[in-house]
Amino acid sequence: MKHAFTVARKDFLSYLNSWIGVFVLGFFFLMAGLFFYLLVMTYVRISMNASQSLYPSVEGLGLTRFVYSSYFLNLSVVLLFFVPLLTMRSFAEEKRHQTLELLFTYPLSDFEIVWGKYLGMVWFFELMLLPTAVTIPLVIWAGGSIDWGPVVVGYLGFWLLGTAYLSLGLFVSSISENQVVSAMLTFATLIFLWALDWVAGVMTGPWAAFVSALAPIRHYREFPLGILDLSHIVYFCFFTLFFLFLSLRAVETRNWKG
Amino acid sequence: MVRVENISKRFGRLTALDSISFEIRQGEILGFLGPNGAGKTTAIRILTGFFPPGDGKVWIAGQDLFKDPRGGKRHIGYMPESVSLYDDMKVSEFLDFSACIKSVPRKTRAVHVREKTARCGLDSVRNRLIGQLSKGFRQRVGLAQSLIGDPDVLFLDEPTNGLDPQQIIEIRTLIRELGKESTLILCTHILPEVSMVCDRVLILNGGKLVASGTTEELEATLREQQEIYVTMGDRHRAEEGLAVLSGFPGAEQVRIVQEKNDQVYFSLFVSKGRDLRSEISRAFVERNLPLLEIRSVRLSLEEIFMKIVIREDAAS
Repeated sequence: MKHAFTVARKDFLSYLNSWIGVFVLGFFFLMAGLFFYLLVMTYVRISMNASQSLYPSVEGLGLTRFVYSSYFLNLSVVLLFFVPLLTMRSFAEEKRHQTLELLFTYPLSDFEIVWGKYLGMVWFFELMLLPTAVTIPLVIWAGGSIDWGPVVVGYLGFWLLGTAYLSLGLFVSSISENQVVSAMLTFATLIFLWALDWVAGVMTGPWAAFVSALAPIRHYREFPLGILDLSHIVYFCFFTLFFLFLSLRAVETRNWKG
Repeated sequence: MVRVENISKRFGRLTALDSISFEIRQGEILGFLGPNGAGKTTAIRILTGFFPPGDGKVWIAGQDLFKDPRGGKRHIGYMPESVSLYDDMKVSEFLDFSACIKSVPRKTRAVHVREKTARCGLDSVRNRLIGQLSKGFRQRVGLAQSLIGDPDVLFLDEPTNGLDPQQIIEIRTLIRELGKESTLILCTHILPEVSMVCDRVLILNGGKLVASGTTEELEATLREQQEIYVTMGDRHRAEEGLAVLSGFPGAEQVRIVQEKNDQVYFSLFVSKGRDLRSEISRAFVERNLPLLEIRSVRLSLEEIFMKIVIREDAAS
């Protein structure tokens, strides 16, 4: 298990040292900042109008509620683009450079390799999230008040969604020989899962409930509203474990042949 | 140190390895040869724990490698063929990573890594990115990481591939030194390298082990006749020399190979186990023929290799 951390640290550092890591980190921060700015501006405009008693009901809508719930929903879309860029490096790149061969001859179990690689990505994802928290002191500094519930639960939900997406990307990477294929396939799968929610919306009958239960966004949506529902947490845990398990199996296939 | 029992490996319908067994003693340098597609890579991959064989067992340092892969792999150092390394890591970072994974104790890790760095002549590039290194240095990094953790068995896959002559000599010297301490398996297609460095040779062909032994042993099994070269000064007495050589009982196919610069070169075959050299030199001296050189021709490893592989191909 200790070795899994060694692998994770190596992968984490290699993200930091690569241009793609720096790009993802910077661009994600930029996008997050842009969304936050736009949402705050919208809120300010609506509040101004409200004070002119056009929409008296908006008065009750807190800043946290208005800004952060949309903020996290917007970020979940941004995630669809960034996750493939991260996960394509994990296995596909090592395969292309044939470094995986070396890793397999080290005294490591397959589980340690998969878990280590996953953990390295999760750390990097957390590093992506960290600077976005700068919005919180910013709001306080500007004289606003933070309703901590939705913010904390929103972050938890976003973390669960992100780590689930990463596990899917890890699996796709473990079965692809090349980074581009890995990124494209991950992106396509994520978009498909994202659209599942809509598909469920236009469906009728018992299958609609089933498809809707599969859609990650459906489970994610309540977090930014500050609603903590155990069933959604369980869903994401299963999602992640399922793809980690598949990744482990994919790595183990080299043991099957012959 | 390494014991391999009846390992086989199939990929679909292709049999890559067919029931191979051998043993490697402690401190031995073994050359692993075979034409492309003979199953060398598959064998090395099994021996280094990359994947298990379809059948059979591998013991490394008394441990069943695939019963406890993590424990077994601790005894193994592997330098991969293409020297595929993490290009975006610094040399010192990468070696430190290897040391962590190979469970070198934290206290001695820095010293251990330093020692291997120095040993492979990497001091000057310690803080450079591996991706920026020249081929020779990359090869050394590959070697250094295989030495980390002081494994009992070292597998070197084409260690001098793509190096310039100077670097080749350096790496070979290093390999010979390493062979004094640990068991070493050298996988290469450069046959002179094998005869220079290795104690024993294994030859694979078509997934089967076709020969095993020292170069001399292999040579002995292949040869029915021994060839002797004789060089004599004074070309005007060539006929006389030829007559003397032909006069020996057991000498066959006596002929003049070449006449050049007042020197005559003879060649003759004698049956295996019969050495005529002392008798020839005595006879030449008695007749006052100017004998310049006399030597028995050894088969080079290339010739041995070609003969074995061709013989096996013909048999199958």
